Amino acid sequence: MRRSTILWFLIATCLGVALFLVKHEVQRREEQLAQLHRQILSSQEAIHVLEAEWSYLNRPDRLEALVRRHLDLVPLDNQRLGSIELLPMRLPLPDVGSTDGMPVTQASIGSGTANLPPLPVGRPVVFTREARR
Amino acid sequence: MRTRSETVRLEGHAKQAIETGRNRLILAGCLIGLAFVAVSARVVELSALRNHSEPALSASSVDTTLTVGRADIVDRNGLLVATSLRTPSLYADPKEVLDAEDAAFRLATALPDINPAETAAKLASDRRFVWLKRNLTPREQQQINSLGIPGLHFFDEWKRVYPQGSLTAHVVGFTDIDDRGISGVERSFDDVLRGGREPLRLALDLRVQHIVRQELAQQIATFEAIGGAGVIVDVNTGETIAMVSLPDFDSNVAGQMDPDALFNRATLGVYEMGSTFKIFNTAMALEAGTATMRSGYDATNPIKISRFTISDYHAKRRWLSVPEIFKYSSNIGSVKMAIDVGTEGQRAFMAKLGMLRETALELPELGRPMVPNPWRPINTMTIAFGHGLSVSPMHLAAGVAAMVNGGIRRPLTILETDTPSPGERIISERTSHDMRRLMRLVVDDGTGRKADAEGYIVGGKTGTAEKVGGRGGYRRKALMSSFVAAFPMQKPRYVVLVMVDEPKGTKESHGYATGGWVAAPAISRIIARSAPLLGVAPVDPEAPEIRRDLMIEVPVEGGKRLASF
Repeated sequence: MRRSTILWFLIATCLGVALFLVKHEVQRREEQLAQLHRQILSSQEAIHVLEAEWSYLNRPDRLEALVRRHLDLVPLDNQRLGSIELLPMRLPLPDVGSTDGMPVTQASIGSGTANLPPLPVGRPVVFTREARR
Repeated sequence: MRTRSETVRLEGHAKQAIETGRNRLILAGCLIGLAFVAVSARVVELSALRNHSEPALSASSVDTTLTVGRADIVDRNGLLVATSLRTPSLYADPKEVLDAEDAAFRLATALPDINPAETAAKLASDRRFVWLKRNLTPREQQQINSLGIPGLHFFDEWKRVYPQGSLTAHVVGFTDIDDRGISGVERSFDDVLRGGREPLRLALDLRVQHIVRQELAQQIATFEAIGGAGVIVDVNTGETIAMVSLPDFDSNVAGQMDPDALFNRATLGVYEMGSTFKIFNTAMALEAGTATMRSGYDATNPIKISRFTISDYHAKRRWLSVPEIFKYSSNIGSVKMAIDVGTEGQRAFMAKLGMLRETALELPELGRPMVPNPWRPINTMTIAFGHGLSVSPMHLAAGVAAMVNGGIRRPLTILETDTPSPGERIISERTSHDMRRLMRLVVDDGTGRKADAEGYIVGGKTGTAEKVGGRGGYRRKALMSSFVAAFPMQKPRYVVLVMVDEPKGTKESHGYATGGWVAAPAISRIIARSAPLLGVAPVDPEAPEIRRDLMIEVPVEGGKRLASF
C-alpha cells in the first residue's frame, strides 16, 4: 500500500516536472518563432525598399545617360542581326599548318570535315534602297 | 471473520440501515462508473476517431507575408512602376504640447517647408489630433526626435512611390494622400490594388515606352508643338505596349500639376484625325465591294457642297485608281468612295469598328467620340477624310490594328494578357491583305516615305487635320499631324501611332508641318529602336516572298498598268 503510494507519487512528480520542462521549451521556441517572423517581415520590407530603389536606378533614361557616358555601346541596328541560314558555306580547312597560330593536327581535320554535308549558301542581305533601284 | 459474520447476522433496523447504505453505495458507484465510461469514450473519440483533433503543425498566428498598403504595379517584364513604402507621418496631440509657439518655431527648424504661424495655431487648438506633416523622410524623423518636443508623435503610413517618375504618368496615374486612386490604373483598379498582394502586371514595356516618349518629345521640341501622343498596340492581343501623352507629369508630385499636363491626349482627347481615317474609308469601300483595287474615281475637280469645297492637298487633277487615292491621300477620291458606300453603310462600319463609343481600355480617362447627330450626307463626305468625327488616338490605333491583323477587332487592354479576346471580325482576310499592301505603298512610295525603317517593312498612313477653332471654323495654322503605322507589313505585329499637336514648320521641313514631315520620322526611329526589343527580326525587303505578298498593281486610266512595290 505505502510502496504503491510512493511509486504513484514519484510518477506524478516526474510527469509534473517533465510537463513543466516541455511547456518551458515550447514557450522558448514560440518566442524564437515570433522573432524569426519579425526578422522575415523586416527583411521583406527591406527587400521591398531595395526593389523600389532598384527600379528607380533602372529607369531607362538614367541607364541611357550612363551608357552614353561610360560605355561605347550604340543602338542595335539591323545590320547586326541575322539568321543562321545567312551564314556562308563552311570554308574548307587548310590541309596542313595552323590557323590563328593554333597547330591543327591531321586527325582533327579528318574528323572535322569528312562527315559534314555541305551547308547551304545563304544570300547576303542588302538593306540599301540603292540596290533596289 | 467472526466479527463480520456476526455483523451480517444483525437483525432489525440496523440491518435495514446497512442495506440502504449498500444500495446507495452501489448507485453512486454506478454513476461514477458511467461518468468514467463517458470520459474514456470521449477520449477514444477525440484521439482515435477524429483525425483532425490535433494539428500536426502548430498553427502560427503570425503572418509571414508582408502586407503593404497597396499592391505593386509592374510592367510586362516585372519592373516596378508603382509601389508602397512605409514612411512616418508626424501628428501632434495639442493637449500635451506645453508651449505651442515655441514648439512650432523649433519644428520649423527641422521642417523648413512648414509655416510656423499656422503650425502654432494648430498646436494651440482644442483638438486631440492634428496632422503636422505626412510622409517624412528618415532624416526629418531623426531631426524631430532630437528636438524632443512633447506631444509630437509619429504614425507609420504607406506612401505610394513611382520609381519611374513621369515615364508612365498617364497610364499609372496617381493616388491621393490617403492612398485612394485618383487617376489612371490606380483609379480603375483601386479595389484590386487595395485588397491584393499580387502585383498588377501591365502590358506596358518600359523600354519601349521610354523610346516612344523620347522620340515624341524630340519631335515636339523640333517643331515647337504644344503636345503630342504616342501609342504602340499589339495587333494580335490588343495589349497596349506603350502609351505616352506629352506634356506629362511626375506621378510622385502629381498634386501640383497643371491641368494640361494631367490631360491624357492618347485616351481622353478626341480629335478629328484627318487622312489616317482614309484607312477605314478605303477598307469600308473594298469590303462593301463598291470599289476594288483596280477601280478608280475621277479626282480632276474639287467637290463643292453647300459652302464647302473639298479639294486635294497633293492634287493630281486626273482620274485616280483606288491605290493612288490612298497613296496621294486624295480627299476627292475618298469622298466619292464613301458616297458609293452610303451614309448608313458608313455609320454601321464605324459603329462596328468601335468608333462611336469609348474604347475598352481600363482607364477612367476615356474620351467619348464626338459623333455627328444626325449623320447627314455632308458628314459622310467629311468623315471619308477624317473630319466631322472626333475620336481619341487609342480609337485610331485599335481600328488600324483591326484593319491589318486579318480583320479582327479586339478590345484594347492595359493589362498583360495570356488569353487574348477572340474578337469580332470587321473585314475579310482579303480586304485586310489589301489594306496592308496599300499601307505599305504609302511608306514605300507615297506621302509616308520618312516613316520607313529598313528591314522592318513599315506601312502606314499620314494624317494632317486642321484643329477646330473657337467659332466652329477651322484654324489653318493649328494642325494635328499624325502618322499611324504597322510593322512588319508581311505579318503585322504592332501598330505605332504618333500624333503631334500644333507643330510649326521648320527650315528642315521646308515650312511643312504635315504628318509626313512631323510624325513619320518619329515612327521610323521608334520602330528601328524598339523592334529588336519587341522581338521582331529584320527581313530583306527584296526577298521574293515579301515582294509578292506586298506587291500592288496601280492601274491607270485606259487599262495600262504600272507595277509598284
